[in-house]
Amino acid sequence: MLSITNLKVSIDEKAILNGLNLEIGAGEVHAVMGPNGSGKSTLAHVLAGRDGYRVTDGEVRYEGRDLLALETEARAHAGIFLGMQYPVELPGVNNMTFMRESLNSVRRARGEPELDAPAFLRRVREQAQLIGLDPALLKRSVNEGFSGGEKKRNEILQMAMLEPKLAILDETDSGLDIDALRVIAGGVNALRAADRSIIVITHYQRLLDYIAPDRVHVLAGGKIVRSGDRQLALELEQRGYGWIEEDAA
Amino acid sequence: MISEAQQSDWFLHHLSQSAGIMPGRGVAWLDALRSDARAAIARLTVLNRKQEAWRYTSVEPLLQQRFITAGTDIGAFRNLDIRPWILPGMDAFRLVFVNGRYLPRLSAVDDLPEGVTVGSLRTALSTDPGRLATWFEQQQGRSDNLFTALNSALINDGALIHIGRHVVLRKPLEIVYLSLDQERSLLVQPRNLVILEAGAEATLVERFVGSEKTTGFNNHVTGIQLSGGASLDHYRLQDESDRTFHLSSISLSQLELSRYRCTHLSFGGAWARTDCETLLKQPGAKCELNGLYTVGDGQLNDFHLRVRHMTPGCTSRERFKGILHGKGRAVFDSHIIVDKDAQQSDAQLRNDNLMLTRGAEVDTKPQLEIYADNVKCSHGTTVGEIDPAQIFYLRSRGIARTKALSMLSLGFAADISNEIKPEPLRGYVERRLLQKLGGEPDGDNLSEHHV
Repeated sequence: MLSITNLKVSIDEKAILNGLNLEIGAGEVHAVMGPNGSGKSTLAHVLAGRDGYRVTDGEVRYEGRDLLALETEARAHAGIFLGMQYPVELPGVNNMTFMRESLNSVRRARGEPELDAPAFLRRVREQAQLIGLDPALLKRSVNEGFSGGEKKRNEILQMAMLEPKLAILDETDSGLDIDALRVIAGGVNALRAADRSIIVITHYQRLLDYIAPDRVHVLAGGKIVRSGDRQLALELEQRGYGWIEEDAA
Repeated sequence: MISEAQQSDWFLHHLSQSAGIMPGRGVAWLDALRSDARAAIARLTVLNRKQEAWRYTSVEPLLQQRFITAGTDIGAFRNLDIRPWILPGMDAFRLVFVNGRYLPRLSAVDDLPEGVTVGSLRTALSTDPGRLATWFEQQQGRSDNLFTALNSALINDGALIHIGRHVVLRKPLEIVYLSLDQERSLLVQPRNLVILEAGAEATLVERFVGSEKTTGFNNHVTGIQLSGGASLDHYRLQDESDRTFHLSSISLSQLELSRYRCTHLSFGGAWARTDCETLLKQPGAKCELNGLYTVGDGQLNDFHLRVRHMTPGCTSRERFKGILHGKGRAVFDSHIIVDKDAQQSDAQLRNDNLMLTRGAEVDTKPQLEIYADNVKCSHGTTVGEIDPAQIFYLRSRGIARTKALSMLSLGFAADISNEIKPEPLRGYVERRLLQKLGGEPDGDNLSEHHV
């Protein structure tokens, strides 16, 4: 599904990723953990195609294609979804209009027919209920005035609507209380499928109590310094990141 | 540079053109109005950019053109198909003007309620000038304005609207001004008078539209008087060809507890300016001016607003938003004056501009001039760009960059456009914004469905 080889990325001449390697197979859930500033969000943004990052070396292959050669929107069409850590507010852009435009852009690109308004509304209503998003928020401007938890639910709702092949969830758990965490993890688990891979980026192992990963990776100093199974996450919870960073140094 | 002599030659040239038979000739007050206006033109100093009112807007592009005064003959338009110019689904009383002339056959003002006069000013000047005298005396417009004087000197046709005491007009009243001459650059000078007597209520929609290639000059003057407790919801859409010149001068006077709300929508014209002067003359009057403008390559749009709080307890709100692209230029100049006796005045003013390109330019100038000591006044202006994080967000959801930009621009405009009450007009504005900003209008509208 995704194969990252020796990826090096800088922002304004400052190296953030220093030769990162990562292999993710279809249907797998991988957790990427690591201390602040280790490059987790940079990895997420580079995969999704955000401007401002310079790839200086390495490659990313997604379903055999050169992912980095694709425009941002083309990556979404190809099935990549980034659940943002800080979903931006879009004043005056109606949430439903936005989601429908998004869904139909992706469907058009895939050669599927667009959903008409009634079909779209049925589906968005169903999904919103599953994720516990107040339907009133669908009528508001995207993320404007939403609480932290509502913004994250709105991200998961978009993921559910778009049915991506590779979902990257960037600190989706941050700022959530335990109940919201459960609901959102339930939403993510409902989307687990043999042909869908998920990268869960998180500081804390807490989220992994609810979304059981197949693999856990520790990102430090811009590369994966250790990989393991769920046990690694529990170890990190107890011991912190210090020992790994020392080992890596 | 145009010299002073060339300027005065420009005004005299347009004054000297015959517009056919002038209505109401021989009526003393009307003759006086016309000759005073001629005298004012001869007397007034020339326009230049040292004058505050013309500091950011050069009048030269206009004065370099020569226009032909539109004639009174409407024969050519008698069989015009009006349907392409009507907003689908707009249920309204309607006055239609083509090149400044009223076309009764295309208008729809048959079943107006009792106490309402709606029709051609030309007809009223010919048949009942006495009735108009008092209203005109109160509505001289700014006597220091050359263009208003040019309109007055050649006063000929326009819309007369009079809503009697406590009459509530249930349907909007729409005035459509069509510019259809593509061969000649016409000088079109409609003159409107809108009078709402005590307690009257109405919605007025004015639309300036026309063929894509017209190059004329629309020098429009409107006087509005709202008596005690009257309420007018006013929409002005200027969507003429990108080659026309447009000047609207509006003077509004409001009496006790009257309410006025105007939404200016300005998308067209090569050179478009609106001068709007509001006098809040009696306590409790409320005036709300909203606006939305777009400019692109080769376009200038200028709003000059002046609101004067003359008595205690009046409220004014100004909220204007501009979207600038290409090498578009906009000017926003708003001046709020609170007189010494106007205690408890509440005045707020906002102007926000979205710059889609580096080549666009806006000059925005809010001014508060306050002589009372117990008032609540604020002003703020912003000039900004679309946040790249917003564009990334939309693109990461599969939406192409151009579509993302138009969605965000429409979002920027939404708090003005969403408040347009006549749905057909709101739909038109949203579609036009998308076209103007390079996106394509959407198909069906989600807001018509319920979640």
